[in-house]
Amino acid sequence: MNPPKQRRASLLLKPLLALPALLLSGCTMAGIRLFHPAGLVAGAEMHYTLILVITMLIIIVPTLLMTIIFPLRYHHSRNAKYTPDWHFSLTIELLAWGIPFAIVAFLCYLTIQGVYAVNPWAPGILANAPGARQPPINVEVIATDWQWVFVYPDQGIATIDDLVVPSGRVVHLQMTATSNMNGFYIPQVAPMVDAMPAMESRDAFELDQPATYTGFSTDFSGAGFSWMQFSTRVVPQAEFDSWVASVQANPNQLTYAAFQKIAQPTVNAGAKPAYFSAPDKNLFGEVMTAAMQGVVYPVPDSFTKRVSDNSAQGAQAPASPQ
Amino acid sequence: MATSNPTGAALALWNPGADEHDPISARTYGFWLYLIGDALLFCSLFASYAVLDNPVNAAGGPLTAQVINTPHGLWQTFIILASVLAYSLGTVSLKNGNAAGVQLGILAALLLGGAFLYISGTDLWALAAQGNGPTRSAFLSVFFTLLLTHGLHMLFGILWMLVMLVQVGVLGFTKDVVGRLLNLRLFWQFQATMWVCVYFYVYLLGGAR
Amino acid sequence: MQVAVDGPWSPLLGRLSLAAIPYDNPILVSTFAVVALLGIVIIGAALYFGKLGYIWREWLTTVDHKKIGVMYIILGLVMLFRGFMDGAMMRTQQLLADGPNSPGYLGAQHGYLPPYHFDQIYTAHGTLMLFFAATPLVAGLGNLIVPLQIGARDMAFPYLNATSLWLTVSGAALCMISLFVGEFSNATWVGLMPFSEMPTNPGVGVDYWMWAFQLSSIGTTFNAINMIATIVKMRAPGMRWFRMPVYCWSSLTTNIIGLSIFPVVTVALTMLGIDRYFGTHFFTAGYGGNFMLYVNLFWIWGHPEVYFLMLPAFGLFSEIVPTFSNKALFGYPTMVAASFSIGGIGWVVWAHHFFTMGMGPELNGYFSAATMLVGIPTGVKAFNWLFTMYRGRITYATPMLWALIGLVLLLIGGLTGMMLSASVFDYTVHNSLFVVAHFHCMVLVIGAALFAGVTYWWPKVFGFKLDERNGQMYFWTFVLASLLVFVPLFYLGFAGVTRRLDYIYNPALKPLLWVSEGGIGMYFVSLFYFGKMLYVSLRDQIPAQADAWGTGRTLEWLTHTPVPFYNFAVTPQINARDELAWRKAKGVEGVQPTHYVPIHLPSNTAVPVIIGALATVFGFAMTWRIWWLSIASLLAIIIVVIIRSFDKNEGYVLSAEDIAKMENQVALASIIAEQPKRPALAQVEAH
Ligand code: HEA
Ligand code: HEA
Ligand code: CUA
Ligand SMILES: [Cu+2]
Repeated sequence: MNPPKQRRASLLLKPLLALPALLLSGCTMAGIRLFHPAGLVAGAEMHYTLILVITMLIIIVPTLLMTIIFPLRYHHSRNAKYTPDWHFSLTIELLAWGIPFAIVAFLCYLTIQGVYAVNPWAPGILANAPGARQPPINVEVIATDWQWVFVYPDQGIATIDDLVVPSGRVVHLQMTATSNMNGFYIPQVAPMVDAMPAMESRDAFELDQPATYTGFSTDFSGAGFSWMQFSTRVVPQAEFDSWVASVQANPNQLTYAAFQKIAQPTVNAGAKPAYFSAPDKNLFGEVMTAAMQGVVYPVPDSFTKRVSDNSAQGAQAPASPQ
Repeated sequence: MATSNPTGAALALWNPGADEHDPISARTYGFWLYLIGDALLFCSLFASYAVLDNPVNAAGGPLTAQVINTPHGLWQTFIILASVLAYSLGTVSLKNGNAAGVQLGILAALLLGGAFLYISGTDLWALAAQGNGPTRSAFLSVFFTLLLTHGLHMLFGILWMLVMLVQVGVLGFTKDVVGRLLNLRLFWQFQATMWVCVYFYVYLLGGAR
Repeated sequence: MQVAVDGPWSPLLGRLSLAAIPYDNPILVSTFAVVALLGIVIIGAALYFGKLGYIWREWLTTVDHKKIGVMYIILGLVMLFRGFMDGAMMRTQQLLADGPNSPGYLGAQHGYLPPYHFDQIYTAHGTLMLFFAATPLVAGLGNLIVPLQIGARDMAFPYLNATSLWLTVSGAALCMISLFVGEFSNATWVGLMPFSEMPTNPGVGVDYWMWAFQLSSIGTTFNAINMIATIVKMRAPGMRWFRMPVYCWSSLTTNIIGLSIFPVVTVALTMLGIDRYFGTHFFTAGYGGNFMLYVNLFWIWGHPEVYFLMLPAFGLFSEIVPTFSNKALFGYPTMVAASFSIGGIGWVVWAHHFFTMGMGPELNGYFSAATMLVGIPTGVKAFNWLFTMYRGRITYATPMLWALIGLVLLLIGGLTGMMLSASVFDYTVHNSLFVVAHFHCMVLVIGAALFAGVTYWWPKVFGFKLDERNGQMYFWTFVLASLLVFVPLFYLGFAGVTRRLDYIYNPALKPLLWVSEGGIGMYFVSLFYFGKMLYVSLRDQIPAQADAWGTGRTLEWLTHTPVPFYNFAVTPQINARDELAWRKAKGVEGVQPTHYVPIHLPSNTAVPVIIGALATVFGFAMTWRIWWLSIASLLAIIIVVIIRSFDKNEGYVLSAEDIAKMENQVALASIIAEQPKRPALAQVEAH
């Protein structure tokens, strides 16, 4: 649930928006994900986006009007008032510096407030979230070329390209990558954060309602980048528990050796998921250490053929029983 | 050139011969601008050094204190300052129009510069021979790069001095040659300054850590 | 195919082998055919008309700032065209490769470009557009006009000026060669790290990109030094700082920015090069490497770089708006202050390009706020132009139309930039098509300014105007096309579509992609009008006045049209800020000098063009690891420079009689006229 205060702000703002409203009506066609936030973090992002859009409209409308009216009004054919030598006015200069200054000051205040609210390390806005009273769900995210591996250290399971979390709990994500930098992003849910080799980054979100979203990579990482999608499923706690149990029963285990096979460059077209039980306890740490020691997973030639080679795009996730 | 306008008042509209600029001053100014660029180049290197001079970036390899040869560094500082002094003495002869004096100054500066490079070179070589070459860790990469960038500048200066030795002999003190001699002095002094920064930042501060 | 640099190597050819030539790729083969044909036609025509010697003597070896400017502009336009073709290919790929059921052509799974090829295309597009289209166009106009506006005979260092040009050309040449020998980088124009490193990118593409970038930035640094020295040292008598035209001010600020940032990117690229060639670990993930260091160094250069390109555009608007409003520029001192503020703030905002890298809220907050500050001086500029028009007498000549649309684009692009700089918003649209749309609005401001500038100063250089009717058709079609292409991208960005996708997974976006593709079609229509404009103007060649637009205000309009190669027969004395407007007000704009004095000019030299050629060879040899050739070409450059330093040529003197003759018959002195051989000074003395 949104806190009432913020809900009110958004409600007040929305009717003001001629242009975004127009865009909203187009949502069904293109699915403007930004305007359908889910959860507090994305809600806050949306809130600040709206204020930004309005502020920009406040600037753009009068300036654009001047840009249209002045050339028309003072076209030579109209014989309007002409003052060829008038080239300075302290009042106008003061306004020209002062008004933008005031607007910028307001925007600065707003953004700095906003960046604390959605700070991926520890979103201020989640501090009082309903889910904050329960222990968080920890997920370790490893971006390989070009799949997403999600490790649940507390549950002892792992998945590929399928992020399943219970509703009403704060989710803490810890991210790294094998060889290349990727951007982790679930548009309606969590802010974008880079997943980088030999480095650890974080993200967090909390959702109340069960739903399914699509996440993907936003930072170019090579031939399979365009296909780096994963599904994000928010399910009720009970369903989550039974899902965890079913994956725990999966005979496929994610040892580091098994991971090294998965981490070979693979285009997982269609984001076909795979599930593992008993992942290596320290898989995340091992991936980080390996990257620091210079381990990379080179891209085989078949991905860089001059004229396409179908395997470059059609390769599948490693066969893995569900 | 003064012209009168239709109302009769004198107006200066054209200025014949005003385009003869002092070539040496423009040239020196341009060279100063180049040195600003060069200084920024070193700045970026120093900034990178500051970032990578860090146990994480040494990846288990040595850090500054283990790779520098502080007494050598001190000697190098003296040598390079002596070299600048030699060159400056050469420019004193330039004022007197004494070609042999200029050549002697340059020659001394050149030899001292060579000695400097010899020390640098052998030190770095020995370091690499111990297995601590630039490919050992990111820290060593930047350490070598910083020192070699400075060394490359010195080498370039030495080449320039060789050319000037010949030019002073062959062309005499033409405008071009004098301009080049003055710029070379700036260049040489600048490299000495950069070395002092290296010495201070790498040898003294880094060594103390 | 990736040409692995750890593959077979031979001492003679390095990694180069026949397999590097992409003869099995129909797209590249047909491009090669077109380029080769064009080359043959041009050289053939030059031979047929017996102009080869003329081109060599009067153009390739020239040190005249105007000819160098014209050559910069030609390079820029050709590369703009090449960049446009890349843009058209990208849009078409995204249109075709939309959804899992989209068809594949030419052997690609979706669309007609396999990912590896698509990635090279946008990398080439970004690199070419910024370094080999926008930068040369900006540098070219600066070269052409700044010396004229300050009443100088030439740039401070004409020989260095030619060297800058030919180094830029050599970078462009490397990009073109990469099309047909090997491959270009697939690591985006920013050189993603550690993706560009050897272990993850062992192809020659990154090396091509790196050397092209490196050579052109050395050229740009030289040009910046030259421009600053020219403006500081070469102003005509009486031109005090606050009498300088705003375009010169913006050139000065721009080149101060240029001089201060290009060394940084030179270091970043050199480190990358050392990593790739010697196996060090600056930017790898392992062995303590820190690729964030690269990202920071790159953007410390990269963000000021966009202002480096934008400030000259602002300067151009500041010339064009007053001319066509027939009114003095409003707020001259604050215009100057605003330029310096933009440059100054531009240095300290670089991290807004990686808000998502996980800097804490303190840093993100700082960089957000700092970035927003740029909006203030930029706004001041916009308002000053608006108040220049206010109570003016406006004519809608083509340059003015470009300036007006530039202003509109600046608003859209700038305000979306302001949104991006709020990191809380950037967390949702970073690396999306929204960013692409933002910066295309901005670079199109530069584009508009450059088209405006070329049209505006064309008569000054060539003696006749560009055809107005077709110019306006070109304008309208180009604007329409740009709207069609980029407005949908804003929308797609909000819809969450990432940039650099060679495959778009959501078929529901098809209608928008079609609109965008329609814009590409419209661009082709606009190119038709551009061609027609050139054709009609060259055919008719209607002579233009010295003050070609009738309302010029600055010094360049005082000298003859077309401008003589020596600029001003006699150096003008400057009395006011808008010197020509002042002379008009006094009624003395027609007063000519009464007598002439001999002019001292530098002789042409082949050294710069030879250096450029050798630099191309050097870049090529380094790319392919042909060590002997790299060393040989590097040594050759050094030897050429040394030999040249022994040259006693002191330029030549144009006699007063010659000047008088040419002043009466300007065509004799125009930059396209062939000059008789004039003996060089040193030789004269030897007699
Ligand atoms: C010439 C090119 C140019 C110019 C001038 C600008 C100008 C600006 N840019 Fe842009 N930008 C690019 C080219 C340019 N940019 C490019 C190429 C990229 C992408 C690089 C890549 O990743 O490939 C980029 C990316 C980029 C980002 C990163 C986005 C991301 O990757 O997530 C950001 C974020 O802050 C940004 C912000 C700005 C801002 C605030 C300005 C400001 O200077 C704009 C100022 C102008 C105005 C604000 C309008 C006029 C003012 C008024 C009418 C006054 C009233 C206004 C106020 C009071 C606000 N730009
Ligand atoms: C100056 C910079 C500049 C300019 C002008 C342009 C202009 C254009 N760009 Fe470019 N673009 C970039 C800089 C620029 N771009 C950069 C930096 C990137 C990022 C790359 C990366 O991701 O790494 C990018 C990325 C980029 C993308 C990638 C989007 C993605 O990542 O998914 C696309 C796709 O649509 C695109 C399209 C276009 C189009 C259609 C134009 C059109 O506006 C072009 C219009 C031009 C013409 C119509 C030509 C006119 C020519 C003449 C008048 C000359 C004729 C003369 C002769 C033939 C002699 N650009
Ligand atoms: Cu980007 Cu760490
Ligand atoms: Cu920027």
